[in-house]
Amino acid sequence: MESTISTTKKPGLTVNDAFASHFAKSMFLTVAGLAILTFIGTRMFTHIDLNLYGYMVGTIVFIGGFFYRFIAWGERPPTKIFIKKGLKLLFRKSTPKTTTEQLVTYRFIWERGVYRWMQHILIGWGCVLACLVTFPLVFSWMYFTMKENGYYTIVLFGMNVMNVKAEGIIAWFSYNALNIAAIMVIAGVCMVLYRRLKNMQARAEQTFMYDFLPLYLLLFISITGLLLTFQNMVLHGWMQPQMSLIHQFSVIVTLIYLPFGKLAHIPFRPMSVFARNYREHYSEQHMKECKVCGDQFVSVEQSSDVIQVLGVNDIEFNMNDGFNLAELCLPCRRKYRISRFSGVATHQVKVKEANQNANG
Amino acid sequence: MKKRLYLELENCIGCRSCLAACTQCGGHEERNRNYVYDVNPLVNRQTMPLMCLHCVNPACARSCPAQAIQIHETGAVLSALVEKCIGCQNCTIACPYGIPKFDTEQNLMYKCDLCIDRSKDGIPPMCASVCPTNTLQWLTDEEIEAKQKQFNLDNGKWVTSMPYLEGETNVRVNLPGILQGVTKLF
Ligand code: HEM
Ligand code: SF4
Ligand code: SF4
Repeated sequence: MESTISTTKKPGLTVNDAFASHFAKSMFLTVAGLAILTFIGTRMFTHIDLNLYGYMVGTIVFIGGFFYRFIAWGERPPTKIFIKKGLKLLFRKSTPKTTTEQLVTYRFIWERGVYRWMQHILIGWGCVLACLVTFPLVFSWMYFTMKENGYYTIVLFGMNVMNVKAEGIIAWFSYNALNIAAIMVIAGVCMVLYRRLKNMQARAEQTFMYDFLPLYLLLFISITGLLLTFQNMVLHGWMQPQMSLIHQFSVIVTLIYLPFGKLAHIPFRPMSVFARNYREHYSEQHMKECKVCGDQFVSVEQSSDVIQVLGVNDIEFNMNDGFNLAELCLPCRRKYRISRFSGVATHQVKVKEANQNANG
Repeated sequence: MKKRLYLELENCIGCRSCLAACTQCGGHEERNRNYVYDVNPLVNRQTMPLMCLHCVNPACARSCPAQAIQIHETGAVLSALVEKCIGCQNCTIACPYGIPKFDTEQNLMYKCDLCIDRSKDGIPPMCASVCPTNTLQWLTDEEIEAKQKQFNLDNGKWVTSMPYLEGETNVRVNLPGILQGVTKLF
């Protein structure tokens, strides 16, 4: 066994030594960061909305779960490589475009189907909109003050950002942002539910806990949220405190569940930008040539990274013929397998691989 | 009773029914996920299917940074979870047999999942259901053992998956006797 304690570095000198673990450090820094932002945002804690403190506790628990899950994830050998190299390559020229396509417009989901894209736009952006409004309010980074003249002042991080007319369009959007978000999420979730009940492609592989539970959670949050508005406007606030608690509870449960189920893809997805940058960057550097046919099929970097990751897992595909299987392009690798089955050197026959499309 | 996919490669006549059936499995989005190869295309007409062998220690899943490739309790190595796959293509480079396919537009890997919706309930995967020549079969371990006895020619020329594969697999492969000059008795 290799020792994990480095001997070249004197202990006790770096910031990292102040913490028991990665987890402790990330947790401390994040909570401290939140507290500082809140301190500034609330003009030294003078504008805290204590009705929302349940969310605050929920957020902190969520952050704990989040770091627990993602530090474990980041320690898997392949993940570690992508995080490390992804961060290094973050400032490529194409990064803004890639990020937009991957994280904002979801172009690749469009390619999977317009219906699937629509449902995800509604859910994803509905949730993002809701979070953009809720969290600043919870931590009192943002609040409204009313002047006598029918104008609201929006205060962000302790600064007066703008004055808006109480009856005006911007004010209307601000009051109703959460309602709009709720309607988007409800529409999106209904589309997903419909697809998951009717579409045979979707039905084949789904399970209740993994695929449906997050949908019901999102639906529950959105409906209770909308009900709050309804009670306000139509029922003169009847039962509103109770409903408010139920709503709050559902948000907290969802937040805590988030890093552990299907929704864990939300914080993890930015890795897709890393992966794209990694592939683009290293393909420009140096391409690997197939040991058999000479086609360039992957970057040298990725090929050796994969071989190394497999090595960590005690998987090695070094052949007697003097190459590693990861050094063959995919068609040649398949033909090599056939040749190992048959004893005929299929991979050496200079014929393009047969049409593999069932449609002929 | 637990059944496995069992391949008798030499039976293949190259009809590609398995590929056509694969496209029709729920969740496969009408795309096939396996291969049929000409063994010696300029010389004879022998073909062989090339399937995911559902490795016990699957290189594809070990190399995936997103944990998008899950291993089902039946041992089937599943296709990438659609919301997790980040499109790095590590799995395609890692698989010793070149099985996983990748769709660049959709930024998604897809591979044989043994028709998990069927095989988890003991129903044979689509390919084994349609194969007209019994190249692909769905058998219990006892039946496979019986096959092994039937074909064991005591000359080391047969027969079972190991040591001819790169690692232990859940799919059992029978190496072809015909091509090694052994006539097979049906
Ligand atoms: C960071 C940006 C995000 C990306 C890149 C992303 C990506 C994806 C992808 C690729 C899928 C699979 C869709 C399919 O193939 O049909 C998916 C599904 C899903 N996403 Fe996201 N997502 C993001 C943010 C969010 C957010 C903020 C939410 C809100 C909670 C969300 C909720 C969902 C849900 C509920 C599903 C499952 C849909 C279903 O059951 O078919 N995602 N996401
Ligand atoms: S044969 Fe390839 S794709 Fe199938 S389980 Fe093994 S490594 Fe994965
Ligand atoms: S392409 Fe997708 S499934 Fe394959 S290793 Fe990358 S993230 Fe995993």
